[in-house]
Amino acid sequence: MIRFDQVSKRYESGHEAISQLSFEVGDGEMAFVTGHSGAGKSTLLKLLALIERPSHGQIHLDGQNLGKVGRGGIPKLRRRIGMVFQDHRLLMDRTVFDNVELPLVIGGLAPAERGKRVRAALEKVGLLAYERQLPDTLSTGEQQRVGIARAIVARPALLIADEPTGNLDPQLAVEIMGLFAEFQQVGTTVLVASHDLPLIKRMKKRVVVLDHGRLVADVAAQEVL
Amino acid sequence: MSDRPDTPAEAAGRDARSRRSESRRVAGWAEHHRWSASASLGRLLGRPFGTLMTVAVIGLALALPLAFYLLLGNVQRMGDAMGQRQAVSVFLKPGQGDAAAQLLAKSIGERADVAAVTVRTPQQGMDELAAMQGFSGALHALDDNPLPYVLQVMPKDALDAGAVQDLVTALRDERSVDMVQDSGSWRQRLDALLGLGNRIVAVLALLLSLAAVLVVGNTVRVDIAGRVEEIGVLMLVGASRSFVRRPYLYAGIWYGLLGGLVASLVAVAIELSLVAPVERLNAAYAGKLSIGALPLWLLLATPVASAVLGWVGARLVSAWQLRRLG
Repeated sequence: MIRFDQVSKRYESGHEAISQLSFEVGDGEMAFVTGHSGAGKSTLLKLLALIERPSHGQIHLDGQNLGKVGRGGIPKLRRRIGMVFQDHRLLMDRTVFDNVELPLVIGGLAPAERGKRVRAALEKVGLLAYERQLPDTLSTGEQQRVGIARAIVARPALLIADEPTGNLDPQLAVEIMGLFAEFQQVGTTVLVASHDLPLIKRMKKRVVVLDHGRLVADVAAQEVL
Repeated sequence: MSDRPDTPAEAAGRDARSRRSESRRVAGWAEHHRWSASASLGRLLGRPFGTLMTVAVIGLALALPLAFYLLLGNVQRMGDAMGQRQAVSVFLKPGQGDAAAQLLAKSIGERADVAAVTVRTPQQGMDELAAMQGFSGALHALDDNPLPYVLQVMPKDALDAGAVQDLVTALRDERSVDMVQDSGSWRQRLDALLGLGNRIVAVLALLLSLAAVLVVGNTVRVDIAGRVEEIGVLMLVGASRSFVRRPYLYAGIWYGLLGGLVASLVAVAIELSLVAPVERLNAAYAGKLSIGALPLWLLLATPVASAVLGWVGARLVSAWQLRRLG
């Protein structure tokens, strides 16, 4: 599903966020990317969604070379990826339903079909009762779950999350990570950037460790202690 | 992939698939437009005061040329009612007899620019004068009738002032004609003024249309500036640039359409307010005047044209601003 080949990313400031990174994530696999802040976790995810372009190397997503995707092709690529952000990135003036519906509207689905899928996604994250509310009336954990519902509603093959539990208390963080694991069980490839090592260890999934943009460890799921 | 040619069944299946995907694409496109149109209308109605202000500015700006046009049309109608329908009086030289008058009337009546010619004999003229109070005594004192034959020449309706002037000149040149009296010169001046007025209306319409474009453009600019974060989110979840822009284009269309409707309504209101005074004027002019309403097509075309202007404004600004956002 994901293949990084000798990928480097140097920002205009001269800072090299990713250095000659190579790794693969298979179809339907779930992996954590971890490391200290500044290790390059966020940059790695941004490269996948073409929010940033690599300075060197190649990235393949589902067999497609991202270097060959032009400006006009970016929206189409992003529709195949579900993205979850630490700060949720919800539209605060729209209801929970409208927020989750957005990817389906962009996908051009008919309203009836949208309604069914939005409710299914909200049910999955346990927020069906809140569909008519505005996001600010929800707790941080609930807002994050709205963000997750939005990321999965269009049934993307790849789900990426950047510090999805960053602002949550441990109990909620476990619940959110559990949700991601459930999506993997139904065939979605999941890549989560997180610095919460204790939590990652509990999940017993593959862990990719970055340090100063370099891969320093790649621990398979069964080897996680 | 083999080089084997497709079986008919395979080809049919592929055609059906491509038709299905095509129809899905069209349905998706139509759904995008439906959503953008209703979403942008919802946003406009969500802040009624701001929307009302923008719509009112556009409406009043566009009502101005309409009002001028209405005024001009009515001045023109008054001119038509009082001027163009007036006959040109042709006084024959003294001594021209009935036969000469009839002959000249016939030849003038055959002109392409003349609608009708009537001959008024000296006796008819005398009778008219006699009917007027105070003249009968004086007329009795005359030995014979000093009045000439007069031809009342009615120009064709369609003639403009210049053509009437040409007719008058031609009549003057007739050998047996002593004098020609017409109201052409004031008519000509009025036409020149109306021509100037028409030009002013055109310039005004152009400038105020530009103003409408700028008003919508600025409103959309402020709207986009306030929604930078939302636009970022939309792009992150896979919205294309045209998808992001579409609600703003629809907003421009709504502003323009509503503004145009206001302009048409204001113009109709002005028209209605003129009915009573024109009625009075009409009575004074023995029923020859009536108010000329703005044509229906103009009242309908104004909102449509204004919607186009709104779209243009939104389109220019959104293209420029979204490019800056990257």
